[in-house]
Amino acid sequence: MKLGVLMSDIRTGSDVIGRLTAEKLGIIFVGNGIYHATVKEDGKASSILGKSATFYVLSEDLESRGFSSSDVDSRVKPVTYSDLVDLIFNDYEKIVWL
Amino acid sequence: MATKRLGFIIRGLPYKTEASRLAMTHAIASQSVEIYLEDGDMVEPVVCFVGDGVLNCLKNQQAMKHYGITSLEQHIKNSLLLDLKVLICKEDIERLGIKEASLIMDAEDIGGETKAQIVPYSEIQKEMESVDHLLLS
Repeated sequence: MKLGVLMSDIRTGSDVIGRLTAEKLGIIFVGNGIYHATVKEDGKASSILGKSATFYVLSEDLESRGFSSSDVDSRVKPVTYSDLVDLIFNDYEKIVWL
Repeated sequence: MATKRLGFIIRGLPYKTEASRLAMTHAIASQSVEIYLEDGDMVEPVVCFVGDGVLNCLKNQQAMKHYGITSLEQHIKNSLLLDLKVLICKEDIERLGIKEASLIMDAEDIGGETKAQIVPYSEIQKEMESVDHLLLS
């Protein structure tokens, strides 16, 4: 399956993400999930970024919290709301929210 | 004549819930209760950011542009404008890799003179012990 995961928190959901497998997996950081793409806790990037997946982060949520695209991990692509709608309709068959 | 000290400890992330915003607005609003107090009585709030709550203190929050709401940055600046004591936990900003230059440390752009302080957690613990009322959010 082609699965898109909207990840909206930094402290919850990692256990579920760790188990998920899909033919095509996209992880989209939204809301407080954006910290996975920007914060290096104890000098280390989020363990989620080590997963085999395509990563996106919502620019609007990023900028609302004081970050810019230059703060984002190189494995993560910033996308706008409009891009996100295209991803949901064109790239993934199923979408889950964590 | 007495001063009641209130401690607002903010440990939650901004925007997903209203917790940190409510703590800030209550801390700011606590200044206005003095009209209900006896002459000479005062209320003195202190706002402390700990844990993930320090991420409320990042500069350049564009919440008004994207969400149409006042940013936590503006609330923090308003607190400093009103001379509230604002403390940010040193250990937590270091743990999260945040540099002081990324933090809201003053409200000079709106005429504030008070500055936020980055302090060790032990200082925040002392504040928690010394206040009359403690609110964690």
